[in-house]
Amino acid sequence: MLKIVVGMGSCGIAAGAQRVKEALDSLSDDVGITGCVGACYLEPIVDLYDGKELKKRLVRVTPEDAPKIVSASSTGDFKSVEELVISDEDASFLTSQTRIALRNCGVIDPESLESYRSVGGYKALEKVFTLSPEDVISEVKTSSLAGRGGAGFPTWFKWNAARAAKGEKKYLICNADEGDPGAFMDRAVIESDPHSLIEGMLIAAYAIGASEAFVYVRAEYPLAIVRLQKAIRDAEAAGLLGENILGSGFSCSLRIKAGAGAFVCGEETSLIESLEGNRGMPRLKPPFPAERGYKNSPSNINNVETFANVAWIILNGGKAFAALGTENSKGTKVFALTGKIRRGGLVEIPMGLTLREVIFGIGGGVRGSAKFKAVQLGGPSGGCIPESLLDTRIDYRELAATGAIMGSGGMVVMDDTTCMVNMAKFFLEFTAKESCGKCVHCRIGTKRLHETLTRITEGKGKEGDVEMLEELCRGIKDGALCGLGQTAPNPVLTTIRYFRDEYEAHIKEKKCPAGECVSLRKFAILPDKCKRCSACARKCPAGAISGSAKEPYVIDEVKCIGCGVCEKTCRFGAVVRK
Amino acid sequence: MNEKIVALEIDGVKIEAHEGATILEAASSAGIDIPNLCFLKGMSPYGACGVCVVEAEGSPKLLRACATPVREGMVINTKSERALKARKLAFELMMGDHDADCLGPCVLECPAHTQCQKYVKEIAEGRFADATATVMDTYPLPASIGRVCPHPCETACRRGKVESPISIAFLKAFAADTARKMGVFAPAGVIAESSCAGKKISIIGGGPAGLTAAYQLRRRGSEVTVYDQMPKMGGMLRYGIPEYRLPKAVLDEEISLISSMGVKLVNNFKIGKDAALSALRKECDALIVANGAWKSSSMGIPGEEAEGVFGGIDYLREQKRLAGRVAIVGGGNTAMDACRTAVRLGAEEVYVVYRRTRAEMPAEEIEIKEAEEEGVKFCFLRNPTEVIVEDGRVTGLSLQVMKLGQPDEKGRLRPVPVEGQVEKLPLEYVIMAIGQKNDSEGFESLKTTSRGTIATDSSMRASVAEDDGNSAPVFACGDAVNRGASIAIKAIAGANDAVDAVEAYFSGKDIPERIGTVSARESTRIDFSQYEKMPRQTPAVRDAEERKHDFSPVASIFTEEQAILEAKRCLECGCHDYSECKLIRYAKMLKTDCTRFRGEFHPGENERHLVAIERNQRKCIACNLCVRVCEEKAKKGLLGLVGRGFTTVIKPEFNNSEAIAGCAECNMCTLACPTGALRLLK
Repeated sequence: MLKIVVGMGSCGIAAGAQRVKEALDSLSDDVGITGCVGACYLEPIVDLYDGKELKKRLVRVTPEDAPKIVSASSTGDFKSVEELVISDEDASFLTSQTRIALRNCGVIDPESLESYRSVGGYKALEKVFTLSPEDVISEVKTSSLAGRGGAGFPTWFKWNAARAAKGEKKYLICNADEGDPGAFMDRAVIESDPHSLIEGMLIAAYAIGASEAFVYVRAEYPLAIVRLQKAIRDAEAAGLLGENILGSGFSCSLRIKAGAGAFVCGEETSLIESLEGNRGMPRLKPPFPAERGYKNSPSNINNVETFANVAWIILNGGKAFAALGTENSKGTKVFALTGKIRRGGLVEIPMGLTLREVIFGIGGGVRGSAKFKAVQLGGPSGGCIPESLLDTRIDYRELAATGAIMGSGGMVVMDDTTCMVNMAKFFLEFTAKESCGKCVHCRIGTKRLHETLTRITEGKGKEGDVEMLEELCRGIKDGALCGLGQTAPNPVLTTIRYFRDEYEAHIKEKKCPAGECVSLRKFAILPDKCKRCSACARKCPAGAISGSAKEPYVIDEVKCIGCGVCEKTCRFGAVVRK
Repeated sequence: MNEKIVALEIDGVKIEAHEGATILEAASSAGIDIPNLCFLKGMSPYGACGVCVVEAEGSPKLLRACATPVREGMVINTKSERALKARKLAFELMMGDHDADCLGPCVLECPAHTQCQKYVKEIAEGRFADATATVMDTYPLPASIGRVCPHPCETACRRGKVESPISIAFLKAFAADTARKMGVFAPAGVIAESSCAGKKISIIGGGPAGLTAAYQLRRRGSEVTVYDQMPKMGGMLRYGIPEYRLPKAVLDEEISLISSMGVKLVNNFKIGKDAALSALRKECDALIVANGAWKSSSMGIPGEEAEGVFGGIDYLREQKRLAGRVAIVGGGNTAMDACRTAVRLGAEEVYVVYRRTRAEMPAEEIEIKEAEEEGVKFCFLRNPTEVIVEDGRVTGLSLQVMKLGQPDEKGRLRPVPVEGQVEKLPLEYVIMAIGQKNDSEGFESLKTTSRGTIATDSSMRASVAEDDGNSAPVFACGDAVNRGASIAIKAIAGANDAVDAVEAYFSGKDIPERIGTVSARESTRIDFSQYEKMPRQTPAVRDAEERKHDFSPVASIFTEEQAILEAKRCLECGCHDYSECKLIRYAKMLKTDCTRFRGEFHPGENERHLVAIERNQRKCIACNLCVRVCEEKAKKGLLGLVGRGFTTVIKPEFNNSEAIAGCAECNMCTLACPTGALRLLK
């Protein structure tokens, strides 16, 4: 009898895992759950386990497959589910990864403390209590773990600063306000392996001497909150959280604070303001949080993925972690591979792999027949990297040299149908809206960047706009108060750096080379291909197409709004772009 | 404050400061002004405006001076290229999002930038003497100029978009007349600590420019002598403007005030005859030439030398009675003055010949209308080609018929001849009122422009040929210089510029910018329908049949009731806080381009949430000082930021208008506001 386990991360549930589980539950009493294994494009995923051994992984499962699965699990005969079994190629998406932060994701039951303990959970915490806090910090220093939220600041340094800071009470905060569009690494960790976060945080709390800890998680992650709440309750009940943890004499409480969805609250000082009940706006630094953070007390903030590595480092040693990666960047990094990619999902790889290896190797390259154009790293704070630089290694310094950043792990792949000006506009619309409004450079500057980019994509660009954008970008980077504003111009600067010709085509020729900018698109109907079916004319929202059974249809360019409905509607390929 | 002292360097100056002091505080105590807006002494630093950024050696990032504590050995540059760039960008961004006026269009458009809005308000409040004093700060001839000025201020006045502009010029005349009647007509205050004090200054020309320069220099303590070739002072105001527009008794009173200040007035003194320019230069410390433009331009057509042809200003000066038919050539105010004078002096028929149409006439509309009422006949689209002469006397004009063609560089339609159409107008007299030139006789040593006017540089200096270097410098202003003859208020503006230049010459400092950077609202963004229509007041005008026979004033002056009603129509476009505003002070200092980053404006209008406090969201820079003062100092916490990003505005906390019920009207917020966004309502 094999154990049936359904992948019940947000991605699985969105793909229909809930209905799959219900169908399985109606046929079997022993259906377990797990979190996100990372191959989001294959969800819903159902695993069949023999004890701890994964026998079969079934993908893109529907509720209708339930009887076959239940029968296969009891008979051990997989013939009936053969077409559901993951292909070797897809399996390689997972097997070619190196998992530390995601080590338990899609493996254990995220709602079970026992399940976590069965894979060595809380063993690191037990070990830590035999060490001094300084030893713990030293181990983390050996690992060279750096902040996975984006800035890549050495974790041990922050811990050490918080430990050294004077203050009666110290706080530990986990930043789970994952806000970059297209990034969902932290969500997956909390939903799939909440105890590893708690364990990592407890180790950090012990190291810096904090007695109160918070997880600041965005309210848009309801499932993560529910699972984390349960994990906290279970840990408390098991004496792993609260007073005198495991009899060590060390006490630490942990609470969840749900953030209301302001992007800027991912910036650590804004997060602290929000945690204190104020409007999320950055504070001036210095003083740094390690000195005066939450309630003006020494505080340490790390992000989810950073904490998720900690227990592994303690158990396996900092050296083992540092053995992975490059000279400057150690360990692994999780990326959310999305966009025009064949195999999208969560990818954890050792530092030092090239972008090409990740995108074309693990991700399988661009989806469909289009051509790769660029990859955006680091979301709105990051930058794009063109095809010519795909052999850049995943390394903090090497990525920064391209104008992009490592970031928190967003990796959005774009093909040649993506307009780079439009892409920059998208990100600036985001940052302009998400600016907290405090400092002038960000509040007004990002708005002016967005307005100018909008103008360019609408064919109203002027000579000198690109130079003006560059100057304004540099000025905002220099003058903005916090990381949001200081990095907001990056998508504009990198697209100008690598795709200046696209900007110029928009401005000088009033053309969008990728054909994405609606205002600049022009369509025509080829008379010899037109079958006079009138389908395009009926669908055209602008009433720009006329013709008759005798006359081929034509598009009135003055009325045309460039929406492209005609192109999609025509079954004969008669509508073409000019 | 910490007792420990640290040593550091700011802009090359070695200073000491208490440990824990910020860079801003340390700089300020050393007399170095670092621009700041969101900072207020006694409040915790906030760091929003980003204008206090400075560069510190060894620091990769710019530092916010308001928040960064000093450290031993710091080397700070507050004016490094990088810091200035970031600072300037902050101002460009703020000013580009500042949908508000610093000064009203009236003040901006007045060539002399007279404080129109201020004196109109003073009149509205019944403070006529104060209103006169306000004008007197700019020039000493309020009653005269109020009567004759073609008032560019009124052309610009936004009230015109509601129904009609404020009658600014007549209000000024009313206030000055009232002040004289009350016996409180007095020079504006003495300007202390002037580099001109005790300097001997000679002014050539006693017209509006010369008199203004004399008055302003006398206020600065100079010993001033004005020389004029005519028997009386006043220049074109006396000899070019007819009595029915400006009673000379009014002008006399204003001139006597200048004289009473101790300005020496010398008449019947002609340069080149009574003394050479070079001789005058030897006797003074500085010399200002403001001798005007007293020669009529000629038409350059055959026959114009004939008997019966006069120059417009010559005619106005001499006031000859011309019996018979008279044609005035030209369409400006001089032409109107000439034709209406001719009517009053008993001419049989008076024609105005103008090569364009009525719409293009540079003369004021009211002048044209009143001339018509007085029986003047207008011949539009006619260009004289020849003065018809018999026995050396005028008998008529040949007129080429014209039509309007393409616009010229100023946008005025250019007249073009209609081939073959020529008319004859029988006449006894022709008056050429097509412009005037300066007379260079006696001033040959001064460098001239291609127009023949005296050339001056940006510091109002004229260059003197064969200058020996030991004589007084020559400054020049008014109709005699550069672009030549124009309206009186422009000459006055030039005089004030010349006085500033003289001051700078003696002090060795730069000439201050008169206005410099200002924020100006686009009228198209204003909803004028929100204003209740209130008709413009007009003073009583005598009937044409009566007035055309004498030189008594055509129009009377406002009654007090009329003046107050009229002044109350003012929309008060300019900002109440202009002179106190930190934002514009620094924006000027950095020569900020206010429109470089203009785009959509942040939301919000004028709001009166509180009984006593008005918030103009359009002027708010979201520095948050009011919010912080209300919370930290007033301990009320009634205000808060609402919205995100570009739409962030300050409102009652949580946008709950009931939150303001706790306001004690302590006024701390309005005092803290670095711009004119907050105002305590009376």
